[in-house]
Amino acid sequence: MSTMSTRSAWRALHYSAKRRAFQPFTPYRCFSCANRAQDQKTDNDRMTHFGFTNVPESEKESRVGAVFSSVAASYDRMNDLMSLGIHRLWKDHFVRSLNPGSCLPAMTADQRGWNILDIAGGTGDIAFRMLDHATNVNHDMETRVTISDINADMLAEGRKRSLDTPYYNTSRLDFVEANAEHMPHIPDSSVDLYTVVFGIRNFTDKQAALNEAYRVLKPGGVFACMEFSKVDNPVLDGIYKRWNFSAIPLIGQVVAGDRDSYQYLVESIERFPSQEEFRGMIQKAGFMIPGQGFENLTGGIAAIHKGIKPIAKA
Amino acid sequence: MAYLTRTLPKRVFTPSLPQSIRQTRAITITTLQPTPTRPTQTTRTSKPRQLPQRTYHSALHARLPDHSYTNSQTAILTSALAHVPAHGFTATALTLGARDAGFLDVSVQLLPRAEFDLILFWLASRRGLLRGQVEEGGLFRRIAAEKGKDIHELSVEERVRGLILERLRMNAEVKGVWQDALAQMSLLANIPLSLTELHALASDILTLSGDDAVDATWYTRRLAVSAIYASAEVVMTRDPTPDLVETEAFVERRFEDRKVIADKLIGIGQCAGFGWNTAIGLGRSWGLKI
Repeated sequence: MSTMSTRSAWRALHYSAKRRAFQPFTPYRCFSCANRAQDQKTDNDRMTHFGFTNVPESEKESRVGAVFSSVAASYDRMNDLMSLGIHRLWKDHFVRSLNPGSCLPAMTADQRGWNILDIAGGTGDIAFRMLDHATNVNHDMETRVTISDINADMLAEGRKRSLDTPYYNTSRLDFVEANAEHMPHIPDSSVDLYTVVFGIRNFTDKQAALNEAYRVLKPGGVFACMEFSKVDNPVLDGIYKRWNFSAIPLIGQVVAGDRDSYQYLVESIERFPSQEEFRGMIQKAGFMIPGQGFENLTGGIAAIHKGIKPIAKA
Repeated sequence: MAYLTRTLPKRVFTPSLPQSIRQTRAITITTLQPTPTRPTQTTRTSKPRQLPQRTYHSALHARLPDHSYTNSQTAILTSALAHVPAHGFTATALTLGARDAGFLDVSVQLLPRAEFDLILFWLASRRGLLRGQVEEGGLFRRIAAEKGKDIHELSVEERVRGLILERLRMNAEVKGVWQDALAQMSLLANIPLSLTELHALASDILTLSGDDAVDATWYTRRLAVSAIYASAEVVMTRDPTPDLVETEAFVERRFEDRKVIADKLIGIGQCAGFGWNTAIGLGRSWGLKI
């Protein structure tokens, strides 16, 4: 893996971002984001947050890209360490509650198998689980998953992992590199289930991504999102914050040799809207909310949000 | 006097009452409107749609709906009920219902409690039907005719018994799968909602029967009706007779038991009262300052 080179790229970018104000005339060239670094002067008016710092909107994408390029290889090991293995339970629960795949014979051609779009699912964590569930639990051999990720390194990691699954090189699994805020290659009303797991907090414009999800989903289709959220219990919250800001960057430094990326991860978790705010955003995109609209996991450390696209009245 | 009659209507403030009823209805209607396909952002509120909740009883306001499901949820659940006799209260019935209602297989995600939502919907909608039969179907007139009585001669207990039996007969078509539903309802996470629904049924039965007790018997009566109904439901699932004759006999016996127990309790209470009075009298006769 090109861990070293990507890490140095991230370092270089980070360095340049700090020094740019002092050396405006030195053109900085980074192999993955040369254009962005050049033309960001014109886009400076619109800012967004990157962790706790504010950056121009045009820059966030490349910065997040750098973070995930840096963590791609050690992604699973780090997730296990950071969440003490609980992320696997969350992901299993998420997939089981969605119950992908139909156990009933299809009545019409378009009922045959689900068309699932897994956004920001580069390493295939959720996609393989969903395909396994559809195949083994519901005996559905038709359900297919398209893994879409903005980051080529994460997709490469997913491709590598798919070699060990029975879905490698079949029509049931597909990899696409795309920005979730704008997916012109996916037609309107074509997706049954849209999932985004621990990804949406990194998006530059979350509402645009939600609107795009609404567009690509079939009427009756489901938007399901699992994301870090706000802890209700103040005691648990205290422990959790301490763990986040003290332990995780340290683990990142020791295990992955990259403190800054993990510092960004915990800061982005802190900046993500609360359960109620995010539910409001899902509703704003036009989705119906089932019941309360979210399900807290482990006291609210993570939450599963769901929305259903209403069917058009004839 | 003339002053009183002039001011009284103002103080009672009746003109506002029909308006408030209309308002409640208007709210109910807007909440039940179909969701627009591409809603404008101005018409949408950021809060989730909540049906009106009221923690008190009011004869002046319109009745709250029997269940708090939205239109789409009701559509799926209603079509799913048609598949219940064949498939039971299962995810399969829900999926088939979603397909019938024009939704996708994945749309059953609209119901966060899945199968248990189907059971709750069944309970709530049957409760609504029972009320409808009393208010519009003339159920009491039929019961009175069966007993050869005038409708006004029916006692509260006879009405309660008639309503319990009528409600049990509604379960006849799902008799074969009802044990599964009872098992679902007795799961630890589902017990609170199941009990709430049972209480709502008992409360409805007693209210419809014209029971207007406001003392401690308010609780004991609801408890008794709940106990009789819940046990009769279990008996019903094992009743092989087509007209639920055995269940009917069981309910009769339970009502007799109830009477016996009530008599016993009153007897025990009287005995204890006498004993207490005697003890006090005895103490006083011994010179104790009681």
